[in-house]
Order: sequence, then C-alpha cells, then structure tokens
Amino acid sequence: MLSRVADSLYWMSRNGERTEQNAHILSMQLIKMLESSEQETAAQDDWETVLDICSSKEEFSFLYNSIQLDNIVDYLTFSKENVNSTVNTVSIVRENARITRNHIPNELWEVWNEFYLSLPKIPQTVNCSLPDIHFFLNQIKKTSFTATGVVDASMARDLPYHFMKIGRWLERAEKTARILHVFYQKSKQACDTTTDDVAWRSALQFVNGADTYFNRFSPIINPDCVIKFLLTDVSFPRSVRYCVDHIWEAIKKLENEKVSHYSWRMYALLDTMMTEFHEDYLNSLAEEEMEYFLLQSLNRCIEFGKIFSETYYLMERESIM
Amino acid sequence: MFKPYTSDPYFDEMIDQNGNPREHYQRFYNSLLQLNPEELKEKQDTANLNFLRQGITFTVYGNEGGTERTLPFDFIPIIIPSDKWKQIEKGMVQRVKALNLFLDDIYHGQNILNDGIIPRDLIEQNPYFYYQQAGGVDIPLRNHIFLAGIDLIKDEKGVYRVLEDNLRNPSGMSYVYQNRYVMRQVCPEFFSKHSLNMLEEQIGHLHAALMSHLPKNARTTDDPRAVLLTPGMYNSAYYDHVFLAQRMNISLVEGRDLIVKDKIVYMKTIRGLKRVDIIYRRIDDDFLDPQAFRKDSRLGVPGLLDAYRAGNVSIVNGIGNGAADDKAIYAYVPDMIKYYLNEEPIIPNVETYMLRNPEQREWVLKHIDQLVVKNVGASGGYDMLIGPHASEEEIAIFKEKIMENPNQYIAQPTIKLSRAPVYQDGRFYPCHVDLRVFVMKGENINVFPGGLSRVALKEGSLVVNSSQGGGAKDTWVLKEEPQHAKQSR
Repeated sequence: MLSRVADSLYWMSRNGERTEQNAHILSMQLIKMLESSEQETAAQDDWETVLDICSSKEEFSFLYNSIQLDNIVDYLTFSKENVNSTVNTVSIVRENARITRNHIPNELWEVWNEFYLSLPKIPQTVNCSLPDIHFFLNQIKKTSFTATGVVDASMARDLPYHFMKIGRWLERAEKTARILHVFYQKSKQACDTTTDDVAWRSALQFVNGADTYFNRFSPIINPDCVIKFLLTDVSFPRSVRYCVDHIWEAIKKLENEKVSHYSWRMYALLDTMMTEFHEDYLNSLAEEEMEYFLLQSLNRCIEFGKIFSETYYLMERESIM
Repeated sequence: MFKPYTSDPYFDEMIDQNGNPREHYQRFYNSLLQLNPEELKEKQDTANLNFLRQGITFTVYGNEGGTERTLPFDFIPIIIPSDKWKQIEKGMVQRVKALNLFLDDIYHGQNILNDGIIPRDLIEQNPYFYYQQAGGVDIPLRNHIFLAGIDLIKDEKGVYRVLEDNLRNPSGMSYVYQNRYVMRQVCPEFFSKHSLNMLEEQIGHLHAALMSHLPKNARTTDDPRAVLLTPGMYNSAYYDHVFLAQRMNISLVEGRDLIVKDKIVYMKTIRGLKRVDIIYRRIDDDFLDPQAFRKDSRLGVPGLLDAYRAGNVSIVNGIGNGAADDKAIYAYVPDMIKYYLNEEPIIPNVETYMLRNPEQREWVLKHIDQLVVKNVGASGGYDMLIGPHASEEEIAIFKEKIMENPNQYIAQPTIKLSRAPVYQDGRFYPCHVDLRVFVMKGENINVFPGGLSRVALKEGSLVVNSSQGGGAKDTWVLKEEPQHAKQSR
C-alpha cells in the first residue's frame, strides 16, 4: 500500500473519532451548563476546561473577546481558524475518504460525503438556538456511529482496516489521557470536595464512561478510582489501556508478529506503555508523582503517533527515500 | 406526458419528420407514454441525488478554489441499433489505426511529411509535438494510443461524422458506467424490453490492453506492476481516475508517490520502494517531468522521461500525442487513412477550412456569420465563435484574431447537430447531442459499446461540454435480434 494512502486512512480515522468526541464533550457541557448557571465563575472555568480538551484556550482568546456561549460554539463547530472545529475535522475526514476511495467501502464515503454536503445548510451560531445545536451535535454522533458500523460490518481485516483502527484507538487513548491530565490539574485547584466531585464526574462523562463506572463502583466519587479506571481498565473501550492493547494487536497483524529493524522502536514504546498503563504500576507511584505521570502518559501517546508514522513512512522523510 | 415536437430542421434521434418514434425507439417510447408527471419528476430527482451522494462530481474552476458539481443526467437514453453501431465500430478501428501509424511515423521516419501529404510546419510548429523528448523512442507494441475518445455527431441527414479526436487524456468512461448504474436504479422498467450490450466485460479489455504495454526491460513478464498517475483530487476528472484504478485493480498514485533512481521508477509504500513497470498517466505531457518539460511542475516525477527513454517503464497514452489531435491536424485524418491504410474513411469528418490557406481564409471571412470558428489548440468549447449566434462585435474580434494568427484557427460549417428529447424541470424538449466513443488499443483494438452521450441542456445551445452546462445520457447499443436457423426453400 502507498504510504500516502496509509497516511490518509490513518488521519481520516483519527479525525472521525475527534469529530465524534468533541461533539460529545460539547453536548455534555451544554447540558451541565443548565444546572450550574448560577455560579458564573465556575461555568467560565468549565468552558476553559472544554477548550483545553477540544482545542486551545489560547487560540480561542486570540480570536474572540470573551468566553460566551455563542463564541465557544462558533469556535468549536464552525470556525475555519480552529483546525479542530467540526467543520474542519469533517472536511479532513471527507477529503481523506475521497483520496482513499479505492480502499474503503463505498458506503463509508457516502456517509461522510452526505454529512459534509449538509454542513453549509446548517445556520451559523448567531441565530442558533440550543435545541438547534443539540440537534446538530446529535447528527454528528449518528454519522460517526454509522461510519464506525460500516467499517466493522463490511471491511476486510487487512492493511487499510488496521491503519484505520490504529488511528481511531490512538486518537481515543490520547483524548482520554488529555482529559485525565486536564482534570487532575483542575482537581488540584479545587477548594472543597464538592467541586472536586463535580470535576471528576465531568471527566467520566466526557469520556462517556459514567455509566460503566457507576455500574461497578460506589456512587461516591473516588478520584484515584476514576484515574485507575480511565487509565488501566482492560474492558472499558475508552480507557487508555484498552486502546493500547488493541493497537498492539493491530501492529502484530501488520507485522506478522515479527520485530524488524524498522519496527523495533515502535514495539519498544508499546512495551513501555503496556507496563505503565497497569494497575500495579499506578499503585507503585507516590502521590506527588501522579501529576507528572499523567502528563507523561499523554506525551507517550503523542510520541507513539510520531514513531508509528515514521515506521510506515507516513511522513515525508526525503533522506530515507 | 410526452408530447411530440417538430424535429425540423434537425435530425432527431427518437422522432422522425412525421412526429412518430423511430423503429428502434418504439418500445422505449411506449414505456415512456405510460409515465405520469409525478413519476417523471421523481425519476429526475432520484437520478440527480444519486450522483451527488456518490460524489460523482467534477470541479468547475473560476470562483475561488473551484466548486464541485454533478454532471446533470437525463434519463432518456440514446439508442443505437446494432447495424449502425457495427459501422461506427469499423470506422473507429480504422481511424485509430491510422492515427497511431501517423504518430509512430512523425516520431520516427516522418515519411508522411517527406511525401508532402501533411505540411511539415504544421507538425513542427505544433506546441504539443515533443520530438526532443519522444522522438526515436522504441515504445512497446509501437502503440501510442492506449485509450482514445473520438467525438461523433450526426448531421441533419442523420449521418455520423467525427467532430474531434482526443488522444491525450480522454475522460468520461466512468460516467458511462455511472449513467448506466443510475439508470438501472431509476428506470428499471425501461430495461426489461431491450437487449443491450453490457459494459462489465469492457474493464477486462481495458486492463488487458494496459498490461500488454510491457517495457523492454521489465523486471518480470508475468506480473508487471501498473499504476494510474493522477494530478490529485482537485483535478476535474478525479472521479474518472478513482473509478478506473479501482476497477482495474491498480494503484492510484500521485507524482509525489513516485521516485526515479538510476532510471528506474519506484512507488513509495509502507514497506519501502516498489518498482513500477507501466504508468497510465492522466497528467498532461507538460507536467510529467520537470526535468524534461515545465520546470515548475509539482505534479510530475523528476527523471521519469529518462526511465521511459531507457525502456524501463512504459507511459500510456504516449508522450506527444497532442501532435495528432488538434483541430488543424484533424482536417488531414482522411488523408492519413488513405496514406497508411489505403482505405476510404468509413466515418467522414466535418468539412473544415484551413485559415492558413489564403483562398479559404478569404472565403471564410466573407461567410463568417454562417460558420463556426475554432482555435486549433483549445478544447472544452473555449475560444470558439458560433457565427449565426454571434454579435457583430464578437465577429469583429474573431476576424481580427484570424488575421493576426491564421494558423491558430479553422472554420467549419454550422452543422445542424442532431437532437434528442430531454426531460428537465417538468417538461420535454429537444436538445443537441454528441457521442464520445472510447477506443482501447493494446495488442488488439477494442471499441467500447456505446460511449458517453453528451447533451447541451440549455435549450438551443450547441455546447455539450460539462464545463459549460452540458449533461449526459445513458447510451444503449442494441444487440442483434436473435435469428433462428431456417431451412431455405
């Protein structure tokens, strides 16, 4: 397979996942906002968290005067400036799907193409009511679910499939690690246990893991337990550990279970990640080490993305060509 | 409901002079009469939506970035009876054979120029004549034309004529398939009463023809690697490239996916470099290789021409084919057929006046309001004057252009292009049509049954190009009615 095609499959998948997750996070926060509307400062703080997770707080303040709902919705969904806005990530998905049409099911292209074509008709936020925004965010999620379904139901489990899956899992792992990192910072600044409790509850909701968590653990939030769950659980499909396990499986299939001179760096990092994203490892950490560890986890995911791309020549490196 | 219209003074594909359906349209006509206005509208809407969903679009340049449009589709097919088709088929084989011999000749011995059949300066001054790059190269099968698109029209008497040869990168084959596909979705009832030539097996012929262009120094003879080289997704024919690569099961590559080392072409894969043997390029000559052609080309592959000249890779269609398909050379194709094949053209040309010839020029300038004037190097319906429809100002501009640069223009009588009924926006009306026939050539020549019927959907317009409001129709070539053996008495 052409490196350029593999690169497109990988980024199509990552941006599809990103689109879905950002839509989910925004809709969660919009619902939460209704309940906390009295505490103005807390709400503002919450929005900054969302901006940190989905895009960039700094870029936002550069582009807009104030943290207001319509500005935030505009930035996260319609802004052309924000590379992670829905309009942009959907365009990237569609463009990559168009490049790789020969390697993906036709229905997958149609699903994203149809959604992309419906984009310009959606009114700009200025006149956008909350129900309109919720409807739109729901459309995004449905599109993404349909796309995921098409892939799972109809794609042969060979090269294109593995590249797409690796992209999706890596995107998820990175997002969960980022959410943990951001909320840990926030929790450190929390003045009382109620705010702390609310923050970790949000973290679970943003990862769409609240239901699974409360099915297993007591309804009183225990921050350590949340961190462990999101980082090391082997059965929850958005925990970092679960994603890394599946990346590992896909890599083994790509490489026929062999380690070669060009792939050892990738294997070595995966090994490290498998060791670190484990309950035993977490238990061995001192409390003051946790903050650094969460940042490092996020960086591991980012680093893996780079090494993966280099291994399969996804990034132009003229010197080796 | 379909209501007959007067066909005069044009030849109408479906309706004869008395307003009755022609024999080969009779069955279709009967089915059409049974549809009510709602059903007709629904068919049109479904068809258009289908194209958009599938992303079968082309890019229109002009406003910023270019916009994507679907090719408008009309569900009334063009039907060609089998005896007519056989004649077209023969004519196309003859024409492509002669054009290929001509290309081989001008890039080698140049006998046709030495014998004075075609003026030498017409070739040597042609901007698409790349002798320096392609002259004397020994190419596989001595075949320059892997895929030709020959545009045919019918005159007012219903006689097929060649309007234009496209020997560089003719596009549109994917639309033929999609038109048929959508037609089956939208109008299944039309098909039941007809026996048509199927399109499915044609991709096999195309693939075989491509693979037969094995380079002299191929790495292997039994499993050569072929690729389709595209300028990328912003090209107006990108869908065509995607479709053909997918159906032939070859990689769709861009220039940046290829690299030349020691005159050997490789593609960059996730497992490193893999050698490439045959390139079906859909990039124009100019952009193929910045070392041999335009230095500013970012679409091409540096060093490609060296690999080609060394016999390490085949490139189809051949380099420099543009010397045989411009509108000035067109006028000489009947002479080529006589010169190389010693035959009379089966499908005639449209009469063409060469403005480089002073007598013809004088006559043309006098009668310009009755003629069509075309730039020999332009395509897509650009830089063209349709005399009867032009204002005095436009005519004056063209007269000036001709005087300034007579070699650059030809003139043809305004042909009363045949028409066919279309159904758009709730009503039937007749529109001008033409037909692009695809000819594939490798070890054998094969003519694709039917082809792309293009229609000028703007009422009265003569321009069928998709860039200027043209649309497409499905094209049916009827099979011969099966004859049962009969004892002669």
